[in-house]
Amino acid sequence: MDTNETLRAHISALVDGELPQADVELAFAALQEKDGKVAWDRYHLIRDTLRATPAPALSPGFAERLAARLAAESALPPEAGDSGDRSNGSANGATESTGQAAILANPGTS
Amino acid sequence: MTTERESDQLLVERVQAGEQKAFDLLVSKYQRRLMRLVSRLVHDPAEAEDVVQETFIKAYRALRHFRGDSAFYTWLYRIGINTAKNYLVTQGRRAPTSTETDAEGAEGFDDADSLRDINTPESMLASKQIAHTVNAAMEALPLELRTAIVLREIEGLSYEEISEVMACPIGTVRSRIFRAREVIAEKLRPLLEFPVDKRR
Repeated sequence: MDTNETLRAHISALVDGELPQADVELAFAALQEKDGKVAWDRYHLIRDTLRATPAPALSPGFAERLAARLAAESALPPEAGDSGDRSNGSANGATESTGQAAILANPGTS
Repeated sequence: MTTERESDQLLVERVQAGEQKAFDLLVSKYQRRLMRLVSRLVHDPAEAEDVVQETFIKAYRALRHFRGDSAFYTWLYRIGINTAKNYLVTQGRRAPTSTETDAEGAEGFDDADSLRDINTPESMLASKQIAHTVNAAMEALPLELRTAIVLREIEGLSYEEISEVMACPIGTVRSRIFRAREVIAEKLRPLLEFPVDKRR
């Protein structure tokens, strides 16, 4: 990454309010330059444009169809061997945040 | 005062206790947000809706494993993204090329001449062209970049939340969002440096 690209990366993080304090002065200095100002303008233009683009709506029968499928699923059965101790087990802590449950829900995904 | 995350967790615990109706409330709350996210990954609205439905079914089945260490919605989004990815793989899809998306998007794009005929202001035309270019560039992005910028710009997630959803370090999130912006900005450059009335 060249210097200009590094500075634009800082500006990108600044746009999101995610720039580490140590880099803020550098980013503001870059915003005084044309390249930095253009990046700032364009990143905000992209944001505003994406947010203004409407998403497709769900079809009218969606909720009913999903409700029918959920009704076919019985209430959550107790997990085999579930001790009920939520502080225990490998699904706790960081494992969950990295998506063990999601992977269990979707075993085809690594 | 109960935070949104806490109220979601209360609903989750009710579902875990066997109260299926509580899940309907979570569906009602998140169905449109999930559709907004998934429709950026799976272009066809009907297919996106199928993915949303499948996501909720998978979430319901997996809910017993959810312990509330992360917010319910970041967990749900992750299932949604994985389901969308799997769907694209099973359909043999790849990310569309920029040529395809340009052509596809152009069909729905109001013709510039007709806009001029009805004296539409140049600024409106420029806005439409910008919107078309940004959305076409989005669709042509690699899935990981597209997912990161959608979660940030459309869903408003923090880098930390995105790192949870995408299971990657925060530095990777920052880099993916930056790279996505650079690609889109580059596509916008001709439009912005040569205003619409000077490109003919």
